[in-house]
Amino acid sequence: MHTVAKLIDTTLCIGCKACEVACQTWNDQEFTLGTFDGSYQTLPDLAPNFWNLIKFNEFERGGKLSWLMSKYQCMHCVDPGCLRACPAPGAIVHLKNGIVDFNHDNCIGCGYCITGCPFDVPRLSPTTKKVYKCSLCSDRTAVGLEPACIKTCPTNCLTFGTREDLLEKAQSRTAELQADGVAAAGVYNPAGVGGTHVLYVLANAARPEDYGLPRDPSVPLAVRLWKGPVKWLGSLVVAGGILGAFFHYVRYGPKKEHADAE
Amino acid sequence: MQSERRMARFDLYERTVHWLAALSYLYAALTGLALWSHKLYWLAWVFGGGVTVRGLHPWGGTIFAVVLAVMFRKWAGQMKLDTDDREWLRKAHKYAVHEEEGVPESGRFNAGQKMLFWSQALATVLLFATGLVLWWPEVMPRTLRLAAVLIHPLAAIGSIGGIIIHIYMGTAAVPGALRSMVQGWVTPSWAASHHRKWYRESSER
Repeated sequence: MHTVAKLIDTTLCIGCKACEVACQTWNDQEFTLGTFDGSYQTLPDLAPNFWNLIKFNEFERGGKLSWLMSKYQCMHCVDPGCLRACPAPGAIVHLKNGIVDFNHDNCIGCGYCITGCPFDVPRLSPTTKKVYKCSLCSDRTAVGLEPACIKTCPTNCLTFGTREDLLEKAQSRTAELQADGVAAAGVYNPAGVGGTHVLYVLANAARPEDYGLPRDPSVPLAVRLWKGPVKWLGSLVVAGGILGAFFHYVRYGPKKEHADAE
Repeated sequence: MQSERRMARFDLYERTVHWLAALSYLYAALTGLALWSHKLYWLAWVFGGGVTVRGLHPWGGTIFAVVLAVMFRKWAGQMKLDTDDREWLRKAHKYAVHEEEGVPESGRFNAGQKMLFWSQALATVLLFATGLVLWWPEVMPRTLRLAAVLIHPLAAIGSIGGIIIHIYMGTAAVPGALRSMVQGWVTPSWAASHHRKWYRESSER
């Protein structure tokens, strides 16, 4: 089965924030005013009711200030750290089309997914005590529609399609940019999380951190150990302890009172 | 009917503290196991569902930590390892298979019990500290959370391993031990067999 993806061509983003509005509208989210801190960015950070943020990364080159616009939302990893960390079965669902979706009926609000996520995306709501993030509009893609942000994008900075097609498209766009003299152009599809279903074309792929993207993200080692070897150790100790005690009794029996009172 | 001679072993205060610790431990451990593995998530339903368990497991752990602090205050002074205890630990393998010649006599607590006490105290400090981090993930720095998701289960595994041995020793393996913690008394021959130094000290008094 083909999996779906979103391609973000940062070279075409004009920072219009239409995708933010579309996301809020489609997902029926009320907007909570943040603090104004001198930036054009809508909010400083993602929020439980704000899943799609255009970061206005301020970047200085040759004494000139420029904006490196980048869209910040769930990356829909091929190997999702949130899913590895989640203790509640069915709270995080990895759909066959590649979307990593949260099912809030099963979410218990522990916040382990926040720790598991290498992109710092899920946000715990203090009111509902559940965790929220972009669903890549799983309710729209399920019926053949493109996600709301992509539907509304006026510059075709955002495209929706199969992951294979979009990886190809990202490569050809990169080649195009390089031919145009943007030598450092490249694709952001980090291998440390098995690749992502949200792909970027960056004008300077050598420095993803300028776009607010982690350079080499991976599921944290602590989470991999916790859900791997530590889990085996736990099973070994519990099963070994119970069986060990039982067979100790079978072999040696109880302690006898060997001494008499004086 | 001839009444058995009784020696007081654990007073009401000690027994109450012990069983409060046991109950809160059991709650924290079982709800913790529910969140530990999807295969054990059915335990969450036994205790009222995942949301309830996520809400109350930290409180169960907090109650246990508080009770354990009370227990620590009561018993820490009696848990210091002396030279006999160190010798006992070297011969613990012989004690385990009931070959007790050459195994030093024990006081009120044997060296195994003392080790359990100290290891549980350490595990509880680790569990409580990392538990606080996991309780409020939204305000905790990422590095602390990453350390906590590793240390919390490791401390729990160590603790549960010790408690499995403790429950076995306190019930099936040493007849009379459970009664000492429930009703508070033992027979003189029990004391002479398992805690001879304590038996002698108590008899002399």
